[in-house]
Amino acid sequence: MSDKAAIDLKTWFTPFNVVSGTIIIIGIVLSILRFTFGLGAVTNLSDDNPWGLWIGFDLLVGVALAAGGYVTSAAVYLFGMKKFHSAVRPAVLTGFLGYSLVVFALTYDVGRPLRLPYPFIMQQGTTSLLFEVAGCVALYLTVLFLEFLPAPLEWLGFKKVRELAVKLTLALTVLGVVLSTLHQSSLGALFLIAPSKLHPLWYSSYLPVFFFVSSIIAGLSMVIYESALSHHYFADKMDTAHLQESEGVTLGFGKAASLILAGYFTIKVMGIAGGDHWHLLGTPYGLWFLVELIGFVALPSFLYAVGVRNKDVTLIKWTAAWTVLGIVINRLNVSLIAFNWHLPSARRYFPHWMEIATSVFIVTIGIVVFRFIVTRMPIFYEHPEYKD
Amino acid sequence: MKKERYLFRWAGILTISIIALSGTGIYGLSKVLKVSSQPRADVIKIDNMIAFGKLEKAPVEFLHEAHTEALAKKNKDCAACHLTQNKRMFPKFKRIADTDRIEVMDIYHKGCISCHGEMKVAKEKAGPVECEGCHREKIQHLTSRQPIGFDKSLHFRHSEAQENKCELCHHEYDEKAKKLFYVKGKEGTCRYCHKEKTKDNLMSMGLSSHISCIDCHQKNISKSLTTGPVTCSGCHDPAVQQKIKKITPIPRMDRKQPDIVMLKNAPKGIGTDTENTNKMAFVPFDHKAHENYNDTCRVCHHESLKQCNECHALAGMKEGNMVNLEKAMHQVDSTRSCQGCHEAKQNDKNCAGCHVFMGKERVKEDTSCLKCHSAPGVEKKKASNPDDEKTLVKTMLQSRNLVPGTYPENNIPEKVVIKKLSKEYEAVDFPHRKVVNTLVKNIKDNKLAGYFHSQKGSICKGCHHNSPVSTNPPHCGNCHGKPFDAKNPSKPGIIGAYHQQCMGCHKEMGIEKPAGCTECHKKKKN
Amino acid sequence: MSISRRKFLGWVSAAGIGSVVGKSALAAGNKHFDGYQESLGVLHDISLCVGCRSCEAACCKVNELPVPDKPFTDTHVLDEERRTTAKAYTVVNKYGVTGKIGPSFRKIQCNHCAEPACSSACFVKAFKKTKTGAVTYDASVCVGCRYCMIACPFEIPAYEYNESFTPRVMKCTMCHPRILKGQLPGCVEVCPMEALTFGKRADLLNIARERIRKYPRKYIDHIYGETEMGGTSWLYLSNVPFSDIGMREDLGVTPAPELTSGALSVVPLVAGLWPVFLMGIYAISKRKEIIFKEELDEAAHSRTKEDI
Repeated sequence: MSDKAAIDLKTWFTPFNVVSGTIIIIGIVLSILRFTFGLGAVTNLSDDNPWGLWIGFDLLVGVALAAGGYVTSAAVYLFGMKKFHSAVRPAVLTGFLGYSLVVFALTYDVGRPLRLPYPFIMQQGTTSLLFEVAGCVALYLTVLFLEFLPAPLEWLGFKKVRELAVKLTLALTVLGVVLSTLHQSSLGALFLIAPSKLHPLWYSSYLPVFFFVSSIIAGLSMVIYESALSHHYFADKMDTAHLQESEGVTLGFGKAASLILAGYFTIKVMGIAGGDHWHLLGTPYGLWFLVELIGFVALPSFLYAVGVRNKDVTLIKWTAAWTVLGIVINRLNVSLIAFNWHLPSARRYFPHWMEIATSVFIVTIGIVVFRFIVTRMPIFYEHPEYKD
Repeated sequence: MKKERYLFRWAGILTISIIALSGTGIYGLSKVLKVSSQPRADVIKIDNMIAFGKLEKAPVEFLHEAHTEALAKKNKDCAACHLTQNKRMFPKFKRIADTDRIEVMDIYHKGCISCHGEMKVAKEKAGPVECEGCHREKIQHLTSRQPIGFDKSLHFRHSEAQENKCELCHHEYDEKAKKLFYVKGKEGTCRYCHKEKTKDNLMSMGLSSHISCIDCHQKNISKSLTTGPVTCSGCHDPAVQQKIKKITPIPRMDRKQPDIVMLKNAPKGIGTDTENTNKMAFVPFDHKAHENYNDTCRVCHHESLKQCNECHALAGMKEGNMVNLEKAMHQVDSTRSCQGCHEAKQNDKNCAGCHVFMGKERVKEDTSCLKCHSAPGVEKKKASNPDDEKTLVKTMLQSRNLVPGTYPENNIPEKVVIKKLSKEYEAVDFPHRKVVNTLVKNIKDNKLAGYFHSQKGSICKGCHHNSPVSTNPPHCGNCHGKPFDAKNPSKPGIIGAYHQQCMGCHKEMGIEKPAGCTECHKKKKN
Repeated sequence: MSISRRKFLGWVSAAGIGSVVGKSALAAGNKHFDGYQESLGVLHDISLCVGCRSCEAACCKVNELPVPDKPFTDTHVLDEERRTTAKAYTVVNKYGVTGKIGPSFRKIQCNHCAEPACSSACFVKAFKKTKTGAVTYDASVCVGCRYCMIACPFEIPAYEYNESFTPRVMKCTMCHPRILKGQLPGCVEVCPMEALTFGKRADLLNIARERIRKYPRKYIDHIYGETEMGGTSWLYLSNVPFSDIGMREDLGVTPAPELTSGALSVVPLVAGLWPVFLMGIYAISKRKEIIFKEELDEAAHSRTKEDI
């Protein structure tokens, strides 16, 4: 009896469980603090800095990195790249989880989370880009849920409903791309209203285009990066098709990412030229801008190209991680670092540790749920009963 | 595989260097530009080459006094660097004219570098010999150089020392003979001819003054006479300028100018004017008095020492830049016109308290015109000969009342109790007579103010505005009532009127007391 | 010091306040909008302000805001620059201006833009530009996303971060409720210097222009708020450069809604064109696949033939 208990304990107290468990316990405590004492108790938000890490990271980065769903499904179902088929389900799952967490994180950030549906049911602020974002995110979350539905249905054995869900694939994919185009770009367009607050190097009327194009890059890189991680941790869950196609996915997506990064670099430069902001490049903000532009756009574009040319999967995987980091930096630049740049340092924002801990908590939830799903549902393998 | 690793390595280096670069950039910019030592008056920016097009290298900052001192130690004088022309030292470095680019450049490079080089070889403290030593992008020395004006005090000291030999400095130019000559009685300001920049053979003010002043001073030194400065700081250091001896009172500068003038339109034959076109009474003008108010003749006589009406006729003339006589005398935003200068005087501390509230009106009152245009009618004037006119002007000027007028003490209430504000606060005891007496005292010695305030009660108008002058003016509350009168939106309510008037005047006159609400009215206790 | 009833009724009817409730989305829309011609506003003559903080005290009182620890009569508060907060709709700041004797004072509060950024940014229409000129806020629908605070170029709206369950955005209402009752805004009513003038915006502009004309040496020849961000209901006259007293002169004249109207106008384009385009691509790739299969079949077929 005692032996069995010991074994139980051992299986429960794996390093992963201990770390994630601790984070989740802290997260729950912080959540209680947030929802009983208000935003002021756990954040460094102020009247000058109404948006902090929870918008900059949880919303902007979250949405960008969850772009893998629409990018992959569009590639496979619309552009006919059947050889990437095995990448669709993990990408859709990540997308679905990502968007769910974005909405979850929003309940922390907005002042009155219970009113989140108000824009739809009370008054429609159609002049607001945030309304567009809210609408698209809500719809797209539904789309992702439906796209993801076949997996749990296969797991649970609901064959007929599953057939119905699969038939929707094409329509859902088109809808997914439309909605993603709209809200990915609108997240950038949110800042168009504040030209006096965002540093001119980052402010541009192209902001929506920048955000949309970089979301494709984020999606591609995220799929590569995630597949690298999954191969490391969940290789036992993968079927032969998945393992065989994996390298092709990495190379194919790497090539696409390289090209789009090059294009992104060009339009970023056009952005500076359009505003004639060359002289600002010599300032500290300008140098930081160059770090982002050269270090995290030009460099990965180049490295992806090298990796694809030499069929070096390892290089591509590292580049993917680097690119993802670049997207994080870009979103934080626009929303936090280059925002309110005109204010004296005493009035600038730096996140409270509790904000950071809450963001970590939310990411951890995502990982735990992802693990729960992939260890149970047909994500990395095709369900034997549903082979096409 | 090898090639790729090579590329990868380069990419890594690139990233790290970018990050390092941005770091150092931020660090560098965060440091304030450090400029060495105190500002000095002898910093000469050598950028002569700009005359030949864009500069290839940064201009050179040259410390003149550092060089004269160093040369003096070696028993060398100005001739080490400066040539002489017509027995006068020429201020340019080792040349008379800026001939062409290469030549001038060579003069500098040879002259500077050879001397520095020799000293280096001799192991002495020497200036730089490499390009960046002299051509530096960043400012190394702050300059305190301030142009020096030749004011009337300096002029008198010079003419006294030279026994009124005006010809030593003043001259005219003969175009045909290409020579300078002197005409007695035609002396004018240097700047009438010598402008900011050298044009053809007409030297700039800077060049000609450096030739003339320094040469003369230098010669006096060699004759062991007391004389003016020859160093940069001697003339251009603000601190030294403060110490230059001032003569008071300055004897009048004599150039046969009139003491008094009748300002009138141009005589027949000038411009399109005919004598009968002028319908305005002439203005008697105290020229002598005005000489004392200003530092140079240029303040009024801007282009030459001609009479106003020689260029400014009733209709505009080309010679007068199409500025007609009326404008020349009344233009409010010009410091040369009578009215412009007089209005600027209203900004003085003693005047601004009242005048700040007096808006610019499109039309002035008739009485204010007559203050200047006081000569008898034009018809009468025709008969008068020049001598009669002179006596007329003289008597008119003498008969002017220059004392500010006031009512007898007992007509000025000593104290006025202002009750309008007594809602939250107690009533104000306003020391009315004290205020009036202070205002009068402040302008007692001011001729301009005295003349324009000579009428009884005109000083009262500062506060008692918009109603006829009287010993019994209306109460403030008769006009000022509740705020935001839609029919008269620029009229403040009674509380606003008091606060604006009292506090505005105190602020303009620099009166610090009373400060805060309760020094005028105590807070009511309840 | 209240305005006469009759005059007020005049204002009210002129401003068409009777029809205030209803469609006023125009002010935040993306069409050209000249502002409500009859809207009211306040002219702040900065040259007259003496920094007595009476307006702050009055604002606190009429809006029933929490009374601060330091009394309003304490002018030492002015030594540090402040901004509007959830507890203070308006603050006065002190500025030292070079070349001018004594300090200058400027009152900060919501400028009540003709086409407000906050109203354009709000996704529940909590902000409304009313025909009185006031930009009002409806806390009963506010979700608390704080996009209004991001959008506001004047950095005015503040948030009740320390409110646990019912936090609100807080900003000056131009005393909208008082205006409707025929009273002056609290700050205007109390200003002892009459540095604040209340009236129709069009009249205020004329008053300001007249002052500039009458005292050309005193005033800067610019009315701040006449064109800034498309115009504001609060207008400012100053005897010192606006940039010296912390007012941004780089805001431009484009009303905030115009800044995002371009991005919004793309929505129907994407929603309309994308599906058509994507289905086209789908059809092409599908067709390619079929042809590929046919060719494959044919090849296999011919090979079997040859084999025979």
